[in-house]
Amino acid sequence: MSGVLPVAAVATLQPLTILAAAPGVTGVIAKVEARLQGRRGVRVLQPYYDLAKLFRKEALAPQGASRVFLLAPIIAMTCYMTIPLLIPVLTDYGLPLGYMGDILGGGFLLSLASFAIAVGAAETGSPYAQLGSSRAKTFAAITEPVILFVVFAVALVTATDLPYALAATVRSSADQMVRPAHLLAAAALFLVILYETGRIPVETHTGTNEFGMIEEARGFEYSGPYFALLRWGSTCKQLILYTIFINVFIAPWGLASTGKAIDVIWAIVALVLKACGVGVVVAVIDDSFAKLRLFKITEFTAAAFVLAVLGVFTLYLGGG
Amino acid sequence: MTILPLAAATNGAAPPPGVFAGAATVISVLVLLVEFGMLRAPLLRSQVRLYALQSLLVASLAVVVGAVLDLPELFALAALSVLLKAVIVPRFVLRLLRDSEAEIAGSGALGAASTVLIALGVAAFAVFSFNALDISSPVLPKTALTISAAVVLVSFVLMIVRGDVVSQTVGFFSLENGVSLASLVVASGLPLILEVAFLFDLLVAVMVFGILMRVHHARSGSLTTAQLTRLRG
Repeated sequence: MSGVLPVAAVATLQPLTILAAAPGVTGVIAKVEARLQGRRGVRVLQPYYDLAKLFRKEALAPQGASRVFLLAPIIAMTCYMTIPLLIPVLTDYGLPLGYMGDILGGGFLLSLASFAIAVGAAETGSPYAQLGSSRAKTFAAITEPVILFVVFAVALVTATDLPYALAATVRSSADQMVRPAHLLAAAALFLVILYETGRIPVETHTGTNEFGMIEEARGFEYSGPYFALLRWGSTCKQLILYTIFINVFIAPWGLASTGKAIDVIWAIVALVLKACGVGVVVAVIDDSFAKLRLFKITEFTAAAFVLAVLGVFTLYLGGG
Repeated sequence: MTILPLAAATNGAAPPPGVFAGAATVISVLVLLVEFGMLRAPLLRSQVRLYALQSLLVASLAVVVGAVLDLPELFALAALSVLLKAVIVPRFVLRLLRDSEAEIAGSGALGAASTVLIALGVAAFAVFSFNALDISSPVLPKTALTISAAVVLVSFVLMIVRGDVVSQTVGFFSLENGVSLASLVVASGLPLILEVAFLFDLLVAVMVFGILMRVHHARSGSLTTAQLTRLRG
């Protein structure tokens, strides 16, 4: 196990790790949530079985839906598989493809994926799917400025907007961890992640209450392999966001610093463990708060906005 | 193995402020965040609790400064202000609240999100205008001073936007918290007796506000200030 993996292999392993581990992380969160509620819960591997079942089923499209409807899950999945090439998933040094895009590039890809799904849902003519995509876009207009301010904070801290550079800066000294701008930006990002992954202050993840749905409602008309891709894509999106939060902001340790196979394997294990750690926190939040009313969600996003803007303020004042 | 060079942390990057300055700024930012929390706290009780939390934060900053810079009188100040502002005053206001049935703060003139955005604008004004002043402190980073100015102005927003007596009282008390944060920055070496005089000022204000709240509640049967818009002789 002491062989050195070629760079291309390490780069390929980044999206593959996300692809393979994402349903498992979702399964762990569901399990922890069930245990906290005193239920036994389904198996941790249940999301994999669900995906396998869906891939064996027949795909149907509503009458009148165009090609866009069927393309949307594929476009979204492609976006989700491109982002892990840009962010530090396994290595703490930039892989050659890591410099194709910065944090904004990753943000654009995430928005493109969500846009594709929203257009696909709007194609169907189903009221709930359209409601979901309209709501998702409405609230995205409020969360996007938060992301922008987080990026500004990162740019002011590192003078670049490369995720690798911020991770390296955070690793460099303890001062970087306690600086207020960093804490505020990380907190704002965490709130945005709760919103983007459809967790409890915003949306119930497993409920069947259509009126409260945002993200979940968009897949209503999909079936078979397309629905599987959509589901898999949303777990991948969750793990990607967790990875950005962990490996760029709060705990960029345990990454491989060389291309040695053993280091890379440890990095994979560490990533999955850290993601499950964040997942446990998210599950605890899921079980301790109530879902916000739809019109209260703006307050939630406004809180995230305040955090991000204050982070940039403190940087401008020179004390951040 | 190609390892591309990281352009990071070389040119133009903001240097970290150091652990003490960073911690001081974090605490003062938390004080400001609690102030923002008061803007959207729906229950009167939660507002009073947030005020107690804010006072605790200011006192903890005093403890940090006292420990790092070896100013023992700050410990006494912190102990006194915790006793007064985190225990006595909140208990007093909570007891007044228990006598009146009102629980939910009068919804303000604006929605919560727009209030937050306005407060953010006001905070930005405070922060940048104070940053332009040429004040430096030997003990604390200037950021803490600018943030304390933001706390004062945001508590004004709280008092203006909310239409009930308790919110306005809590807003006034938290304004005092902002001022004591500022006094920690610019005048940590102030004699203890002056600081204690400030605290007794607050005690007087608490008494006056308590009586005002009682009188208002007894006269109008509610805690909102809606009836006060048309004053008659």
